[in-house]
Amino acid sequence: MSKSYKLKKVIVKTEYKFLAIILVLLAAGLVLLPKYEKHEGINPEILLGNAVSSERYISTDELAEKIINQDPSFLLIDVRDEESYAKYSIPNSINIPLAKLLEEDSESYLNQDEFDVVLYSNDNFYANQAWLLCNRLEFKNIRVLNGGVNAWYSTIINPTKPTENQAVVDFDLYTFRKAASMYFGVSYLDQVTSPTKKKTPKKVVTVKKKKKKVAEGGC
Amino acid sequence: MGPLIPNGIIPEDWNYIIAIFIGFAFGYILEASGFSSSRKLAGVFYGYDFAVLKVFFTSAVVAVIGLYYMDYLNWVDISRLYVHPTYLWAAILGGMVMGVGFLAGGFCPGTSLCAVAIGKVDGIVFTIGLVIGIFIFSESFSALEPLFERSNLGHITLVDSFNLSPYLIVLVFTIIAVVAFYFSDWVRTKVKKVFY
Repeated sequence: MSKSYKLKKVIVKTEYKFLAIILVLLAAGLVLLPKYEKHEGINPEILLGNAVSSERYISTDELAEKIINQDPSFLLIDVRDEESYAKYSIPNSINIPLAKLLEEDSESYLNQDEFDVVLYSNDNFYANQAWLLCNRLEFKNIRVLNGGVNAWYSTIINPTKPTENQAVVDFDLYTFRKAASMYFGVSYLDQVTSPTKKKTPKKVVTVKKKKKKVAEGGC
Repeated sequence: MGPLIPNGIIPEDWNYIIAIFIGFAFGYILEASGFSSSRKLAGVFYGYDFAVLKVFFTSAVVAVIGLYYMDYLNWVDISRLYVHPTYLWAAILGGMVMGVGFLAGGFCPGTSLCAVAIGKVDGIVFTIGLVIGIFIFSESFSALEPLFERSNLGHITLVDSFNLSPYLIVLVFTIIAVVAFYFSDWVRTKVKKVFY
């Protein structure tokens, strides 16, 4: 055996040892690395994108139009407590109080691809909380009724009449809202055709329509 | 970020095109490592050549260490990688059948195609036998199906079976690999050299 061959053999052998040591060190490095809690669920950038998206809110007018046209593609969910729901709720809504949002029964309504989900509370506050929880869990098509029941009342049920110097679009909007409120059971003085002269005060009637409930989602 | 295709960074349509290029690269590495020679492959069983063990074990160790570092750095979400389901008894039985075929024919399925690619007659004969085997297996699958169904453990890995930290398993696996390399070298010095 020549000298150079021996040298080569030694180099090859040590090289392999060197590579083996690197492999073991790298694997040991994995064990010794400081561990950290991995972020589960939705990516923060996507969550932020969803939060600032204009798709997040639905206006009361859009919702009223959907209800009047009997749009079957959405679920209306009231996230207030049972008491408030019993007192007044937007027609055809389902009650899932915020505290029960993460229960198993609620998930079949919220975590599905079939329907758009519209959440509402008295204002945006609780509905937004529910929206955030649902988004963190990566539920799809969750939206919030902008302004909640308060806005529903002040725009649809009891719309303010525009003054004479306002634009024509405001009058169109008022006409739509007035018609919508009549659909939801409000009667107006100028619309009452009964022959009685008795002055009927402007009255807000909330109608609980027992329309068939939207089919359950999920599965 | 990754895996690139499930996360939509590379469109789904590229799946097969990328698979073809990886296939070319894999075939090239097999051929370059000399795995189109059945005598080299059979060397593992007779103890005169452990290149197969070294190449495959090294690639597995490098891949698993690399993947876990990439997972740690959030480059790849390891929980989203596909894990092939484990059919325990079917795999044990199939492994035994495959071992006998490997030893008798001198090829495993991938390397037999490599041998076909460089025009080896034994590779061609082996591949014909392989196709016949696939045909027999497919035709008798309905009889074998209960064996598959009963031993299906789902998409599990050693992490699920032992309930240990994956990093610890990687370390143990690496040490086993290094010991196996050392041991195989030791065996080779004890066995009569074969020139081929």
